[in-house]
Amino acid sequence: MNGGKISFEFRSSLSELDKLHRNLEELGKSLGMSKKTIFQINLAIEEVLSNIILYGYTDKAEHWIKITIWDQNRTLNIRIEDDGIPFNPLEAEVPDLECSLEERQIGGLGCHIMKSLMDDIVYKRLGNKNVLTMKKTIQDT
Amino acid sequence: MEIIEKRQNDISIFKVNGRLDSNTSPRFEEKILEAIKNGSNKMIIDFEALDYISSAGLRVINKTTKQLKHIEGMLILCSMQDYIKEVFVITGFDSFLPIVSTCDEALMKF
Repeated sequence: MNGGKISFEFRSSLSELDKLHRNLEELGKSLGMSKKTIFQINLAIEEVLSNIILYGYTDKAEHWIKITIWDQNRTLNIRIEDDGIPFNPLEAEVPDLECSLEERQIGGLGCHIMKSLMDDIVYKRLGNKNVLTMKKTIQDT
Repeated sequence: MEIIEKRQNDISIFKVNGRLDSNTSPRFEEKILEAIKNGSNKMIIDFEALDYISSAGLRVINKTTKQLKHIEGMLILCSMQDYIKEVFVITGFDSFLPIVSTCDEALMKF
């Protein structure tokens, strides 16, 4: 894939996560990525996807989410495009990780995980689309 | 994902195989809630064969911990791979959850 890009399209359904996992396993192996890097990329993408699928749409129609991945000098670039309501995960409220168990609110946890695992994240609203680009340095096996 | 449930004395042990993601976590939650309903208040979740966890899985763990606290019970997690443990650290879950290296060690905590 050196220099090339690969794209996947997913329906707006949580059952598509299996397909995502399979695609990323294959990609990770072909790029010689460590199990840990594959896991972290998979996790960051799932957190974004599940937010879009669960909260991004105001109708019951089927939507498609496009993921494009390319390797740029051992930095993996991941672009996620969806036509859901405008949502910038970088502005999501950071959960209070210090508060007691009883007070602990879980919302925002997924965005926090994604931000912690990725090296760089850029959000843009282009037309009717959310475009999120994440970068992660590839750790070799 | 596959869940193997075992009982040792009055302790419920759940061994989770595979992935705990947004798609599979609801089934995991059902299993645990059922055990609580049937009277379990001491639980161990063994993550030795767990390959993956996302915030959906953490949400179930958090809910379980809260429920068990109300009935004077306890949840202990054991045998996590390092990269899974890191997610518990990033989210601060390691600050309120006992996480130990082996299932035997977890059994001794009760």
